[in-house]
Amino acid sequence: MVTSATLYNVLHWLNFTVDIRNVCVFLAPLFSSLTTIVTYHLTKELSNPGAGLVAAAMISIVPGYISRSVAGSYDNEGIAIFCMLFTYYTWIKAVKTGSLSWSVICALAYFYMVSSWGGYVFLINLIPLHVLALMISGRFSHRVYVAYTTLYCTGTILSMQIPFVGFQPVLTSEHMGALGVFGLVQLHALVDYVKTKMSTEDFNVVFQSVISTAVVLLLGVAAVLTFSGKIAPWTGRFYSLLDPSYAKNNIPIIASVSEHQPTAWSSFYFDLQLLVFLFPAGLYFCFANLSDANIFIILYGMTSVYFAGVMVRLMLVLAPVMCILSGIGASTLLSKYMKGLEASSPPSAGASEKKAKKSDPQSFLRHEISLAFVAMMTFMFVTYALHCTWVTSEAYSSPSIVLSARGHDGSRIIFDDFREAYNWLKHNTPEDAKVMSWWDYGYQITAMANRTIIVDNNTWNNTHISRVGQAMASPEDKAYEIMRELDVDYVLVIFGGLTGYSSDDINKFLWMVRIGGSTETGKHIKEADFYTPQGEFRVDKEGSPTLLNCLMYKMCYYRFGSLYTEGGKPPGWDRVRGAEIGNKDFELDVLEEAYTTEHWIVRIFKVK
Amino acid sequence: MDELLFSEHHLMKRREPGCDIWSLSFSFSRLVKLQFSKTFQPIKMLKALYALPFTVLKVPNLKLKRPSWFHKPSTMTVFALILCSYFLVTGGLIYDVIVEPPSVGSTTDEHGHSKPVAIMPYRINGQYIMEGLASSFMYILGGLGFIIFDRTLDSLTAKRRIMLTSLGFIMVLLSFFACWIFMRIKLPGYLQS
Repeated sequence: MVTSATLYNVLHWLNFTVDIRNVCVFLAPLFSSLTTIVTYHLTKELSNPGAGLVAAAMISIVPGYISRSVAGSYDNEGIAIFCMLFTYYTWIKAVKTGSLSWSVICALAYFYMVSSWGGYVFLINLIPLHVLALMISGRFSHRVYVAYTTLYCTGTILSMQIPFVGFQPVLTSEHMGALGVFGLVQLHALVDYVKTKMSTEDFNVVFQSVISTAVVLLLGVAAVLTFSGKIAPWTGRFYSLLDPSYAKNNIPIIASVSEHQPTAWSSFYFDLQLLVFLFPAGLYFCFANLSDANIFIILYGMTSVYFAGVMVRLMLVLAPVMCILSGIGASTLLSKYMKGLEASSPPSAGASEKKAKKSDPQSFLRHEISLAFVAMMTFMFVTYALHCTWVTSEAYSSPSIVLSARGHDGSRIIFDDFREAYNWLKHNTPEDAKVMSWWDYGYQITAMANRTIIVDNNTWNNTHISRVGQAMASPEDKAYEIMRELDVDYVLVIFGGLTGYSSDDINKFLWMVRIGGSTETGKHIKEADFYTPQGEFRVDKEGSPTLLNCLMYKMCYYRFGSLYTEGGKPPGWDRVRGAEIGNKDFELDVLEEAYTTEHWIVRIFKVK
Repeated sequence: MDELLFSEHHLMKRREPGCDIWSLSFSFSRLVKLQFSKTFQPIKMLKALYALPFTVLKVPNLKLKRPSWFHKPSTMTVFALILCSYFLVTGGLIYDVIVEPPSVGSTTDEHGHSKPVAIMPYRINGQYIMEGLASSFMYILGGLGFIIFDRTLDSLTAKRRIMLTSLGFIMVLLSFFACWIFMRIKLPGYLQS
């Protein structure tokens, strides 16, 4: 936000009167262009300018990054990836040169990263991990010492200026790794220094005694601090990255977000295509020429592959490193094979050709093989570009408010129900009306209908959301008590049964049950009650009576039982679940229907 | 490898004008050297302190030897381990553990027989266990193919070159087209507008 405000002010000062909305919309593409430039420089540091160009070309169209940086998606990640790669670039420069100025620039870049995204925790654990790896492999030098010490001290103090971070770097376990490595770095440098001053025998005595006391002291202090609660254990968000089943079992609200699901193979291929094949090759070339900087990119690659496997959203963090390593791999291979094309035989034919073929096994069919390889790589790059443009146009370019589908004859049908319903709310309800819906639609209702809502996308208050979930999952009379307690005037649900829109509230309903049952007041709501005796989730006659009588069911299917939705099917046929609903002719006691949109996607009810 | 980390000679060479951290450590090194030459011998005191517990305790007569099979792994061993973990993660191992999909799906055709379905259709972020492992195997195959392309340039005999090159081409093209076909089966509209 600060970035947008700064850009807006700069532009106005230069007398370009750009509207703030346009600044926000185009911020993400601007920063992704800057990311491309930083990727070029980063890869150039790791390898050579050719690899840098390939990596920059790849990251400019990779779907995994484009998905979060389209024009109009105004979220933290648009800026955060640029900040992250810039911090890594300055870190690599600091490690390579050992100069104080690069380390301070790295700390400033880190400060910008902290101010933009909570994912800075990844950085502050990856950089100490890199330092640790350098120490273990015996590559510790004064350059690393200067770089890390400066970065840790300056960077931590700067990061504590951000109100959201506050004192976390010295209190929470997520930052303890960096502190530990900082201490270790000081010890290592001190040991190296003392070693040059004393004889070996004396040194051994001092070394052993210091190590034993230090270890005992450290363990004691850490144990005391952890058990007395001064150092907080890993928080839920980050703990679920280490133990993926934690969120599923303990915090349903984290587990329910679709972006937080673990990743299947097709997401990897869909978002990265050619890069998944070149990634191992790039890793191989990095391993073949190990250096301080290459160790960093290897660590970054492996950790981000693991984290992207745990959570789909983190595919964003994997995309840049995939591009970098694939760029290194492709560029190294291509430069080697292009030499084969260059060394095509000079005009002195006959004698030299024969000699070449007989005595020099290196040049046997070399020209043809090189040609074939370069042609193959060209073909693959072309398909990569086609894939990326297709994916971006199909999957990542649609506005999320307006839906579209293809009719039987191939013509496009537009479903504008969301905006229709929000406009109705804006014009037909009192100004202070309170609307209850599931948290997914909170921001949309606030912005477009301008009404107060009970819970929204900033899912801070789990207990409150759980109360809403209990209201949705209880029968009408119990739900009425909860709605009176929350002082609700209108209820809004999303229903896809008529159109076949599958992200509706009935499909999300089980998450409402889980979240509703996860707090104290919702203990009576058990997920098993909503399944059939065979364990299936069904909305037809076989469905569980608890489900067929709960508030969400009644709201979604009110008056639906008499509707014909599909040719050849009975009335009340739900097109998403593929079943005829079980509870058809009922009346609502505590609600009355206020508005239903044209395609029945959004339904609004008034509390009596 | 930087062995003379903070010795004075090193400081003299790398000193930058007006850079305080160097002058501070320069004077610190002088001080430490002075301490060590004084007569009260801190080393002797430290040795005495370190030997104190052993006046009471008796050291057991153990012969502990570092196990001979334990040595620092070579670079390529680490690379092989990393490739294994890449295989597992991109095959959707974590997805399998959390969501627990079946190994292969099943549909019933018009006669009522249940037929197995290898690839979960229509969902980008969903898979069966077998298809995940098959795809990540393809990824690894492609990666190894590219690595083989690098190794062909070093090999000397013509026969070996032909073998390696053809192997490389087959692996890369096979894995690329196999993944394309898997994706086409998964999303029927893939690469068609």
